[in-house]
Amino acid sequence: MTIGTEQGTSVALTWTRREPPHRPAQAQDPAARPAGDDALERLLALVARGDEQAFAELYQRVAAAVFGLVSKVVRNPAQSEEVTQEVFVELWRTAARFDPGRGTARSWIMTCAHRRAVDRVRSAERAARRDDLVGRRDQGRPYDEVAEQVETTLERERVRRSLDALTDLQREAVVLAYYGGHTHREIAELLGVPSGTVKTRLRDGLIRLRDHLGVDA
Amino acid sequence: MSADLHTLTGAYAAHALSDTERQAFERHLEACPACAQEVRELEATTARLGAAADSPPPPELWDRIRAEALVTRQLPPVVGRAERRRRTGRRGTAAGRRVPPLLAAAAALLVAVLSVTALNLGLLGRADRADRTADLVAAVLAAPDARRFAAQPGGTGQATVVVSRQRGRAVFVADGLPPAPADRTYQLWVVNRSGPRPAGLVEVAGGEGRVTRLLDGPVTGNEQVAMTVERQGGAARPTSEPVVVVDLKA
Repeated sequence: MTIGTEQGTSVALTWTRREPPHRPAQAQDPAARPAGDDALERLLALVARGDEQAFAELYQRVAAAVFGLVSKVVRNPAQSEEVTQEVFVELWRTAARFDPGRGTARSWIMTCAHRRAVDRVRSAERAARRDDLVGRRDQGRPYDEVAEQVETTLERERVRRSLDALTDLQREAVVLAYYGGHTHREIAELLGVPSGTVKTRLRDGLIRLRDHLGVDA
Repeated sequence: MSADLHTLTGAYAAHALSDTERQAFERHLEACPACAQEVRELEATTARLGAAADSPPPPELWDRIRAEALVTRQLPPVVGRAERRRRTGRRGTAAGRRVPPLLAAAAALLVAVLSVTALNLGLLGRADRADRTADLVAAVLAAPDARRFAAQPGGTGQATVVVSRQRGRAVFVADGLPPAPADRTYQLWVVNRSGPRPAGLVEVAGGEGRVTRLLDGPVTGNEQVAMTVERQGGAARPTSEPVVVVDLKA
């Protein structure tokens, strides 16, 4: 075999059978399962050293959680993919800066994902999106959408029950801030309450969720 | 003021503060361990809320992420306090007479390292070129029509070529590529119906065998990309059988 053929209408090349590129299996185990925390921290430490296999495994473990959260906030599927890509490239780039003393790997990853998603919706499409949300509020509270979707897994069920345990104002503040990507001022506007009230309800609500979910940090 | 700031942990953890408020609160966090602890706990709580919305991404997303990660430099860790103190201490002796020899030794070492690096790995040229081609590489990888084609080299490692027909360029990405034999180099070829043309030499720098190389010249997507082992400096025509072939028409 040679590829040095002088003229040739066909180039004589043989090669080994092409294999599909390495691709982690579809994520089955979202960050919902706290048991994987130590593993995530070990993986992050390997990713910080440039270990691509560890990066693939990290992706496999948390991609569904990251993509799901980003989609929830950003909504547009193409943009959700872009933001998810930004998040993982950011994790790759900054893995060495992860500080276990400041929280778990899971928290760090999901905080990064949420932050990126919120940045995205707050930039260009902010005004348009706010109009859209006001429109949707007339048809049903965002919380109802969440409640509809969180039925399949035990973790979803626990989160749903924990959200149910909040007062209406706490729940709406948490859902509009976290899943809606809104600032406390926007939430105050939407709910017709002072923004100081939104701040305290966000804190009260998250503290109650923390206790309900038995979160350790 | 302080009492008011303490109530912002929830809004902070849910990213519901404006940029100015967030910056002010982050300054407060540096000085308030109670708030810092509460933020840790509330961020762990919001992480659970986030995970409850899970939904699998489209399978091809991983390929794009991996391709971008491969060309993204990783940040070094923050050097520990002890290390910083040690270096400060060393600088503190800078007024002493013994420092000039130290500096000279350090400079000599640096020159030696740079020379070895430049000679053996071509890293200086590589860094130089990287500046010029990084934009092109990024443009190809991020192109809306970017497509990825994989090959399996004979040994370990993986090679892929990312092609953007719109931009008319292609990027060769390899992983786990063993170093070329002594006095030899890898050379890329773009092969079309009229035969192969040289598309650049491949330098394997570092132990991981990672390579991201913009192919020289235009690519239409109707070619094959091949890699051969050639003598140092490359050849005008391939003189050995390819170790990697990627068919862009597949």
